[in-house]
Amino acid sequence: MISWRTFLGLAGACAALLACSNDPYPARDAQQKILYSSFSSAPRTLDPAVAYSVVDHMVTGNVYDTLLEYHFLKRPYQLIPGLAMEVPEAEILEDGRARYRFSLREEILFQEDPCFTHFHPGTKTRRVTAHDMVFSLQRIADPKVNSPISSTLIRILGFAEFGKRLQQMRDESEAFAALPVHGQYEEAGGIEGVRASGDLDLEIVLDSAYPQLLYWFAMPFTTPLPWEAVVYYDGNEGRNAFEEHPVGTGPFILSTYDKYARIVFDRNPNWYGALHPEWQAPGATYPSEGEAGDGEAGLLDPEYVGRPLPLIDRIEFRMEKEDIPSFAKFLQGYYDASGVIQESFNMVVQEDNLSDEMVELGVDLVKSVSPDIYYLGFNMDDPVVGHKAGERGRKLRQAMSLMVDTEGYTERFANKRGIPAQSLLPPGLFGFDESYRNPYRQVDLAHAKRLMEEAGYPGGIDPNTGRAIRLTFDTPDPSAQGRARYQFFVDSWRKLGVDVEIAATNYNQFQEKVGNGAYQLFMWGWVADYPDPENFLFLLHGPNGRTASGGPNTANFNHARYSELFLQMKDMPNSPERALLIDEMLKILEVERPWIELFHRENYALYHHWLANVKPVGLSFSTLKYRDLDAPLRARWREDHNHPIRWPLFLVVLLFAAMMVRGVQTYLEERQ
Amino acid sequence: MIAYIVRRLLHGVGIVLGVLGLLFILFFTVTSPEGMATKALGEKAPPEAIAQWVTNHGYDRPLFWNPESWSDTLLVDHYYSMLSFDFGRSDADDRPIMDRIKQGAKPSLYLTVPLFFIGLFLSLSGAMLVAFFRGTFIDKAGLVVSVLAMSIPTMVYIIAGQYILGKVLLWFPISGFDRDPTMVWKFLMLPVIVGMIESLGGGVRFYRTVFLEESNRDYVRTARAKGCGELQLMTHHVLGNAMIPLLTQVVVAIPHLFLGALLTESFFGIPGLGAAMVEAIHGNDFSTLRALVFIGCLLFIVAQIVTDIAYTVVDPRVRLK
Repeated sequence: MISWRTFLGLAGACAALLACSNDPYPARDAQQKILYSSFSSAPRTLDPAVAYSVVDHMVTGNVYDTLLEYHFLKRPYQLIPGLAMEVPEAEILEDGRARYRFSLREEILFQEDPCFTHFHPGTKTRRVTAHDMVFSLQRIADPKVNSPISSTLIRILGFAEFGKRLQQMRDESEAFAALPVHGQYEEAGGIEGVRASGDLDLEIVLDSAYPQLLYWFAMPFTTPLPWEAVVYYDGNEGRNAFEEHPVGTGPFILSTYDKYARIVFDRNPNWYGALHPEWQAPGATYPSEGEAGDGEAGLLDPEYVGRPLPLIDRIEFRMEKEDIPSFAKFLQGYYDASGVIQESFNMVVQEDNLSDEMVELGVDLVKSVSPDIYYLGFNMDDPVVGHKAGERGRKLRQAMSLMVDTEGYTERFANKRGIPAQSLLPPGLFGFDESYRNPYRQVDLAHAKRLMEEAGYPGGIDPNTGRAIRLTFDTPDPSAQGRARYQFFVDSWRKLGVDVEIAATNYNQFQEKVGNGAYQLFMWGWVADYPDPENFLFLLHGPNGRTASGGPNTANFNHARYSELFLQMKDMPNSPERALLIDEMLKILEVERPWIELFHRENYALYHHWLANVKPVGLSFSTLKYRDLDAPLRARWREDHNHPIRWPLFLVVLLFAAMMVRGVQTYLEERQ
Repeated sequence: MIAYIVRRLLHGVGIVLGVLGLLFILFFTVTSPEGMATKALGEKAPPEAIAQWVTNHGYDRPLFWNPESWSDTLLVDHYYSMLSFDFGRSDADDRPIMDRIKQGAKPSLYLTVPLFFIGLFLSLSGAMLVAFFRGTFIDKAGLVVSVLAMSIPTMVYIIAGQYILGKVLLWFPISGFDRDPTMVWKFLMLPVIVGMIESLGGGVRFYRTVFLEESNRDYVRTARAKGCGELQLMTHHVLGNAMIPLLTQVVVAIPHLFLGALLTESFFGIPGLGAAMVEAIHGNDFSTLRALVFIGCLLFIVAQIVTDIAYTVVDPRVRLK
């Protein structure tokens, strides 16, 4: 009887194994226009006023539309109207203040949601008005929301005062604090510089011109929000929290939010692009123009030009914590696009082109340079390498800069995926000069040695101690891999006689050291929020010093002329005058060397041949509404490339049976 | 017995307080509230937002001692929250921690329950098989294979399993999870098989020793002399009498069922409590981490007491004093 059960069990297990396939999706979805992609960590929040990480924006960018957006194809990046009728220009008022006027499109609807039915019985949605924009900006100023961009928008008149007033009123009156949030904002008197002049007109007044303001209106932070959703989704009585339940105006709606496993978006039937394709609105229509080379790359295919967006019906993101399984699923056709992982780089890319194996699979490669900068920094507050060391410190920094071979570094640690940086500005940004060669970023041992002598460290020897000059390189990665990376720089500087010790700690301790100013050398990176040189040059503006003010100037660089030029440059529109100021700032950095600029990342994106309209963007905005795919072709390809190999299963069963027979025989022989 | 249970529970209280204290000290030795805020808000968060986060989450209070009010410290709050089972909200995403635990327990149980029962069944069967064929080449081959299996790290099983069964043979999805009941089994096959193979070596060796020890007892010889068949002897007599060491192994493993498998869940993308623990460690999410450690600690203490009680059930000679 037992053997019969065992047999049935084994037969059942074998049948289950035989019925299995590696397809992670339901068979009914095979012919659907569903774009499959992956994410590696759960979004922290979907509250657009707070969401700041790439994975947060992966969701909010599809669900929330913005007043402005970036042109899908044009580079340098160009703003186009989104929910707004046009990109506004600053009006300089008599008192030096600046005013921006946005006109919203008529008949824009929020996605359908029960929150509207709750407050306005009989309706499932409502029209978007300028008052929703006012509410959205008030939320950013609200200290309880704690938006990371509240300090950026502080130049809006009355912005900071509104936040303080709100907090004070909440502290003083429980009755006030118990009011629904939009009621609190109204009673607190709103923000002086943010006004809805009519249902569709929004006015924003700032203390002075701030051209970068427009970029913030192309990010989900400033999307119009319905107060109904914020009030209704409070996380009580079985309702979701607003941080997990977006109610937006975007091309997609979030239909499944299992943030640790699966995130699904479906078309939003209320999107203005779907309701009014006849408007041919720039943000809702496939573009007819792009940058040079887009036509050849198939990005201006007449099949798509002028077509209403979005082109796909659903987007499905699946959690993949590890790169290797995610990439393997891409190769099996279960993800439509992927990056190139370090472990498989040589299999995928050979001599800077796709390998034959990839070409045979029908995979395409797109390269792009990310608007970012990776650098080695000196703590300019340090007495040996910083400002206090005067000319001696400057020459030491220059000499060390001359020793770092970025190409060697990227070749060894990043499969050559990095453009050696000559200045802190990445390609594509105003002020970037392709012909510029930083004299201190070309490897030159002889020059470096001369500078060391001039600095008073001949052969790297510190005359005060009679020993090699000793510096500390603080790093946030104690792993063997991290150590090998940092050792590359240490070995370069050793050729000068400089003895650099790696002080590897965990990320938290590293942050603490930087906060306390207890460091000499470090490595860091910065990715642009928006495509303006100000977003890079502010990283070395004196008042932004990390140790003194907690700001982003981690090198604590404080140069009077640089800061003066920065203040002149930062609010200027792009112009020859601005270019001159930027040039002078870069010259200061060239000589002062608070940073040793390393590289701008080069991204390699892979996608299958059934996916169309892939143009990488370095900035955090979603372009999925432009993507298209051929689902029947994908289904056929998957079927052809995923035939399970069953024979090893039979082999295992046979081996087990043979072993059992032999075992029984031995047992019986021994018994006899 | 009641006195014994009360005594064990009191020991348990001491252990829980000690574990919570140790966790608090270790956590705040390696990180600071500002570090937690930076991790939660992102590196680009301005100092004002960092400071506001610290205030909003109550981490602006002293760690151990507040001369103005002794109870207004993070340590007191830490103990109070845990001992009153008020887990609060996650430091990483501000969501209620109980929601995360409820969400994560199901996938963990989906993975660990079949893994536990199938693994136990196969380990016992394998151990009985090698014990039954003791001294033959099956026993020797079993020894070699088991020792080999025990020597290989978990990571190797996971990577090899994903590569061979998922990538080369194309039998299962390499990773992922779907809560849809018609799909979930598909994603569980591979981690369960990998986990099962991994646990087999140790299990077979342990239970084999137990069975062989029992096989040499007088009652076995008597049963054999009375004409009891070998198979019946193993399954009815030896297995029954090997329950004490078996219980020790099995009941203590139960907390793991709830807390999930750290590595397996992370590598296969299963959103269980094991993965939640790893995320909490990486994300400086003290609130979630302490809740999971606290629950784990309680489950282990309860499991230990249940094991002791179970001894008295399976072996009437055992008395708890």
